[in-house]
Amino acid sequence: MYSVVQPNGWVALKLPSDTTKVLQVVPNTTISLGKYGAFPSNLIIHRPYHLTYELEDKREGESFCRLRVVPSSELYADVFAEESGMCSAPADDSDRIISATDGVEYSLVDPESGKVVARSNREIIDDNARQTLTMEEIEELKRDGTGAGKDIIAKLLLSHTALDQKTSFSLAKYKLLKTKKYIRRFQVLPLDVPLLGKWMLEEKDSARVLDMRDEMIGLVGCWANVHFGGEDVLLDGPSSSDPEATNDDITEAERLRRLKEEAKPMNGRWLVIDDTSGFLVAAMAERMGILYQDEKDPSEQTATENHIEKEESDGADDQAIEVPAITPLETKVDNGAEATTAAAAESTHQHTPYRPRSHDFQIPFSQTNTITVLHAANQPNLSFLNYYGFDIQNPNHPPHPLLNHLLTLTWLQLLNPETDAAYSTNPPSVSSAQLGAMKPNRRGTYHRKRRRFARTRHIVDSARAGNFSGLAVASTMDNISILQHALPLLAGGAQIAIYSPTLEPLAELADCFSVARRSAWMNPETAPAETVGKTAAELERWEGNDDFPLNPTLVLGASIQTSRARKWQVLPGRTHPTMTDRGGAEGYVLTGWRARPAEGRVEARGKHTGKRRKVDDKGASESAAATPVSDGVQVL
Amino acid sequence: MAADTIHKVSPFLDPGPHTKSGTLAIVALSRDNLIPVYLQDSKGAHDGYAEGVVVNTRYGSFPHSTLINVPWGSQVRASNVDTGSRGRKRKRPEGEVGDAEEDAKDDAAANAIKQAATASSGFVHILPPTPELWTASLPHRTQVVYTPDYSYVLHRIRARPGTRIIEAGSGSGSFTHASARAVYNGYPKDDGERKGKVFSFEYHETRFEKMKNEISGHGLDGLVRLTHRDVYKDGFLVDGESPEAESIFLDLPAPWQALPHLSRRGPDTEEPIAGGEKPWVSPLNPKKSAYICTFSPCIEQVTKTVSAMRRLGWVNIEMVEIANRKLQVFRDRIGLHIPTERGANLTPANVAEAVARLAEIEERFRDHNKTSGSGENSSTPTAMDVDTNGDVPAEGSNGSSTYKIWKEGRLITKGEPEVKTHTSYLVFAVLPREWTAEEEAAAFARWPCGGEEKVIGSRDKQARRIEKQRIHGGKDKDAKKKAKTVGKVESNDEQALS
Repeated sequence: MYSVVQPNGWVALKLPSDTTKVLQVVPNTTISLGKYGAFPSNLIIHRPYHLTYELEDKREGESFCRLRVVPSSELYADVFAEESGMCSAPADDSDRIISATDGVEYSLVDPESGKVVARSNREIIDDNARQTLTMEEIEELKRDGTGAGKDIIAKLLLSHTALDQKTSFSLAKYKLLKTKKYIRRFQVLPLDVPLLGKWMLEEKDSARVLDMRDEMIGLVGCWANVHFGGEDVLLDGPSSSDPEATNDDITEAERLRRLKEEAKPMNGRWLVIDDTSGFLVAAMAERMGILYQDEKDPSEQTATENHIEKEESDGADDQAIEVPAITPLETKVDNGAEATTAAAAESTHQHTPYRPRSHDFQIPFSQTNTITVLHAANQPNLSFLNYYGFDIQNPNHPPHPLLNHLLTLTWLQLLNPETDAAYSTNPPSVSSAQLGAMKPNRRGTYHRKRRRFARTRHIVDSARAGNFSGLAVASTMDNISILQHALPLLAGGAQIAIYSPTLEPLAELADCFSVARRSAWMNPETAPAETVGKTAAELERWEGNDDFPLNPTLVLGASIQTSRARKWQVLPGRTHPTMTDRGGAEGYVLTGWRARPAEGRVEARGKHTGKRRKVDDKGASESAAATPVSDGVQVL
Repeated sequence: MAADTIHKVSPFLDPGPHTKSGTLAIVALSRDNLIPVYLQDSKGAHDGYAEGVVVNTRYGSFPHSTLINVPWGSQVRASNVDTGSRGRKRKRPEGEVGDAEEDAKDDAAANAIKQAATASSGFVHILPPTPELWTASLPHRTQVVYTPDYSYVLHRIRARPGTRIIEAGSGSGSFTHASARAVYNGYPKDDGERKGKVFSFEYHETRFEKMKNEISGHGLDGLVRLTHRDVYKDGFLVDGESPEAESIFLDLPAPWQALPHLSRRGPDTEEPIAGGEKPWVSPLNPKKSAYICTFSPCIEQVTKTVSAMRRLGWVNIEMVEIANRKLQVFRDRIGLHIPTERGANLTPANVAEAVARLAEIEERFRDHNKTSGSGENSSTPTAMDVDTNGDVPAEGSNGSSTYKIWKEGRLITKGEPEVKTHTSYLVFAVLPREWTAEEEAAAFARWPCGGEEKVIGSRDKQARRIEKQRIHGGKDKDAKKKAKTVGKVESNDEQALS
């Protein structure tokens, strides 16, 4: 993650009203915070995160509001005052007059005299009734409001006729209410996965992320054992391949053969099924260290960023490009300011260095530390990755770690690759002489087709070869059908984590691995007839029937859990859980391990050996305990 | 892996395809019964076992030779091991593995290792170690931070590959393992290379020693730096150098005593903590915001911690408590037709079944009364033999191959019999990096203001109107006029109504 706000990067602005504004910090624009005012975006670029700013009043001769960093002592002034107040006068507060000094906000109300007093719990005051300032007056105050809104808050408090009748707590609440409404402050937060999730969940469209809360993301990530999978390994690095990379027939045939031969997949690859528009993928990528771009040194950044992007768009493909080489980000760059103009001028003069283009059939993907995404539609929906500067739709992408670590394929490509044209159609092949005679845009199409072929081949073959280190699922599809095809692809001992916003689908899935079903599967009397005499490897690909939708011996220790974080308010003398929280879908995770059952019949061992073999007997003793482990009999 | 990696990658991070001798594996007896085992080759008999080192469980004995070099996740059958007539009669607890010292002693006298013979029943699964499995199976030294807590904490304190994380105290090491996995982005090739790392501090000496052995045994040496330290007093520097941490997890009785060490600036006069004349060094990464989480069971600790955090400039302070529930899935088999064990009490599934049974009993009574009460000839002797669950289960049992118990009944879920209702309170906070006036001036010079062209973000009415006018030119005026007239009409209506 970056240490400072990046130009054209996405940030979240937290407003006093507790709403979050997510936006791209385009240089040389004005960021408007609605009623809280507006400020130039340049004032937060290359500044740290998590600082709280206050919009200053416009200086004379300046057309914009400058920002002031609010020190934490000021943020917490009320609490500090209260704490010191509590220390100095810890007497009984049944019916005593609280003096201004130990109150919450009197420092603001009247710092000189400190005359305001508040009476405790005598009368209940109607908050709205006692404000003497009229609507017009408040509007006027807002218009020429100074002191970042503090003046208006002070005036509002002073004009409240019943202020002296308020208890200190209700006064604190009143002030908080007014502060939220008028104070012109905001905080800049990095738009990382936790914040993106929180924002989607609480303010935007929680259904888009399937109501996946932080707790669930954490559980899925841990239970799928998603982590950095190892340093990149490329199949044939640029050094080993012929740097000239001609279309020589021998290398061509050799490469084609290599492409088509069986893949030997490495460890450190994860399988993800994501119907959360890329939110799950983003979270997993964050855990694997491939979501964020390496931070460029901010001191050099303005001078170099444009030229890097420029170089990339030049170098990526010199032939016909179906999508403009300019990224959406770039188009928004305004070079209005002197500094950026200079940088832009520099970059146009920059010579693009010659980079030997790799062969069309060279695999750009790393062999480890990758995410393989299976998607139901023709194209994967990973739109949330756009917030992290990655656009799956853009073929000429500026460098991003996800480019060579994110592999996407459709279910059709996984299950029936031969029916998929991109996989099965052999790539065009022409001699270099013919190629030279082609028009540039046809030559571009030629190369693009060949590259796509190689890419698709590699993605599909390596996915089908399996050996994935873990499985993370957050899907709207039937999880049983997903597991039927995903389970055989997992390495032995791989951790599985399946998220569902509701419990029922997971219960159904867990029931596929219940003790009763497992024993029935192992018992020749009740096992499906088709399984008899098959090897364990064949049974891994069991297509499922009504009785046994999945091979119940493939998953170990299937269990369901849910987590919920309960928020608390921590204030001196007023610590308690928050009164309200988000409702809606609770969210559940099913976890388990991929097992490799032994060949042939395996007898369990336990105390009640006599009963064990009879399914009927067993069912009775466990009629109320199907999944949980019963004490005597081995049931795992 | 990288060609020049000197470290053997920990089995926690890359277990490889097979179990290997000399590494940790988890033997899974059942979901909640997991035994960590350090696999070892034996050249001869060990501890009286002809098969070498043996794992003994309630489901059979498993010589290590049967557990080594099998694919991870494999189901392994038990072996017939002579556990009764060993030379040395010493009671060994289940699943314990002999230590290396004894192993060596045995080797000298041992003859060739006996091939393990497969037993007729019993099996285990062998799983690669992960922080989750380790947490469930580790030897408890202190209260353990369990997966629901650490998964949330690591997510919230942004422990990602490359992060430097401070952990105090190490405790039983569950959080240490989980955070090592989270921050791992390769082993540092030399001391100078900056990689994700866990800086773990432990006050208790024996715990520290045990932990140290564990870390080395698990191949985490380059990734976890363990220090024996009283962090309240001596802070978080390692060899006088800053860990440059971005994430902090404090599982201490008094986090507020450790917090002053985790500042950007040296302490003021009131709390003298720095040692001597050396300039005070912050253990935090000066370039990044620091995320902290403290883990305290009591609310009083939280109050003090939060108060200290406020005074030390931490922002976005938030306290939460994690409630985790495990759910069990059952088949709720209720009904008179369920075949069952002798003696089990059958209850009807619904009113119809209940009524049918009652009617049947009633019928039987009547018949019985008829025969005995009136002294007439016994007409229905068979009816008297019928017990309550007589004929219906017979129906089930005659088709035992068609009756599928695993599919019967309604699918239900329940909580565990025992629930953890409170682990600890988690306090999260962020400490922004320092930002000096010079830095601000430099940034302002690089990004001068005043030349703004567009407005982004939410616009107030004024800005929106200006924007619109610019886009639509003259058209907008018409629209506005229209809107005005519409408004007038409406207000007229209102007046008319009133």
